[in-house]
Amino acid sequence: MKEIFADFYNKIVDFFSKTEEKDKTKEVARNRLKLVLMQDRTNLNPRLLERLRGEMIDLLSKYVVMDKELLELNFTPEDDQLALMLSIPVIRAKNEEEIEAALKAEDEEKERLAKLAKEAEEDGDDEDDDDEEDTEGEETSEKDENQEEVNDDNSEITEASEEQPKPKKKKKKKKKRVSENETSETEENNNSEENEQQESSETPEQSENQEQENTEQEEVKEEENKSETKEEEQKEDNSNE
Amino acid sequence: MTGRVLVITSGKGGVGKTTTTANIGTALAKAGNKVVLIDTDLGLRNLDLLLGLENRIVYTIVDVVEERCKLKQALVKDKKNPNLCLFAAAQTRDKTAITGEQLKSICEELKEENDFIIIDCPAGIEQGFENATAGASEAIVVATPEMSAVRDADRIIGLLEAKEHIEKYNLLLNRVRPNLIKTNDMMSVEDVVEILSCELIGIIPEDTGIITSTNKGEPIVNDEKSLAGQAYHNVAKRIMGQEVEFLDIDEPQDFISKVKAFFLNLFKKEA
Repeated sequence: MKEIFADFYNKIVDFFSKTEEKDKTKEVARNRLKLVLMQDRTNLNPRLLERLRGEMIDLLSKYVVMDKELLELNFTPEDDQLALMLSIPVIRAKNEEEIEAALKAEDEEKERLAKLAKEAEEDGDDEDDDDEEDTEGEETSEKDENQEEVNDDNSEITEASEEQPKPKKKKKKKKKRVSENETSETEENNNSEENEQQESSETPEQSENQEQENTEQEEVKEEENKSETKEEEQKEDNSNE
Repeated sequence: MTGRVLVITSGKGGVGKTTTTANIGTALAKAGNKVVLIDTDLGLRNLDLLLGLENRIVYTIVDVVEERCKLKQALVKDKKNPNLCLFAAAQTRDKTAITGEQLKSICEELKEENDFIIIDCPAGIEQGFENATAGASEAIVVATPEMSAVRDADRIIGLLEAKEHIEKYNLLLNRVRPNLIKTNDMMSVEDVVEILSCELIGIIPEDTGIITSTNKGEPIVNDEKSLAGQAYHNVAKRIMGQEVEFLDIDEPQDFISKVKAFFLNLFKKEA
């Protein structure tokens, strides 16, 4: 008898709570509308946004080492305003020498490009476009190489770079990627690679010291990551409960 | 006398621009103002129908622009209110028959002898919109609490902001259904205002009386009992600079929804 009543009670509750499920349509409309208006209000189409992203990567990679694949750039609502959110998975900040080297390399490339442009002008208008495309391709590939070289050359000074405050981007909101296991893994990989390189190029004593320093760095980084991941972990815990 | 020129616009069609024009115009005229309503929806005129003046139109705006008649000849006086005049659109021509400059000079001329010139803008953001807004210094953006209407209103607001001669614009939220808002099935007035971040000049509830009043060719503001009519009267008062509180547009609930709400509260408490 009790079961029958319980069943009946549940059915009634279900009937009335169905209206509550519908409640969300208003919120859905509101959120969809907000997002679509933000897209409408900006004149940046996806192609331009992708280009902006590429340029941001070029710019930022002069100052920080980051996971380019995970870099995110998108518009999000923030209170009443539209925020351009740039999420940069920073692996580590570059030190002064690295930055100087990158800037120098850029200047050299600019000069080289200017020269090429002059040559292209002399060659004639028709071949202009092709030349530019070619040079752009070369440029990016060379840039990457330069950066890698720079990293190798200055790996001794990574400690110093850790201590430096991370360069902040003006106007753009910057949030570090939170709780990315991938990021920490790549960090570790990076460090281990660095260690190997150092071992091969330096005396054993030095490399031992370096190793110690590096492990210290790793610990620091892990601590940082932990503090960042704490919130998310808590959230996860809550949801698990 | 220098009158004010208001344009009623929305972007999206069917949100109630023409209804709003007819009702605000009639309400302003009832309050003792001299009002001219201009229909700029060339080829798709309807303002004459809402005012019940469709059989009295001899000359249209195109006739004035092409100098077949004088401006005063083209003004059609309202049946009830001598303060109210209609300046009709041509039904046989399209939006390119007049230019913004021409409409602007017509407005300038009308300003001298009237308190309010209210322009009914066609839907869309093309030539018709450009023409209708050219002579105006104020705008009322009509929207309903629906996604498509709000989106289009946002677009219109953006275009109005780019026009230097538009000194101010306000939002009029039309066809609001309080019962749907209560059950969270419709965006609330606050939601829309927040999204558009535009100052509100009126909230008009959905009213079946609008249909019957259109059938009769008589604006709903003439019906004293109608809630929508009262809301339009309040809009007219706000346009005249009076401070009027927004109308309580809660519909009386029917019996079944009352019972449902009662049980819903009961179960919520138990849960």
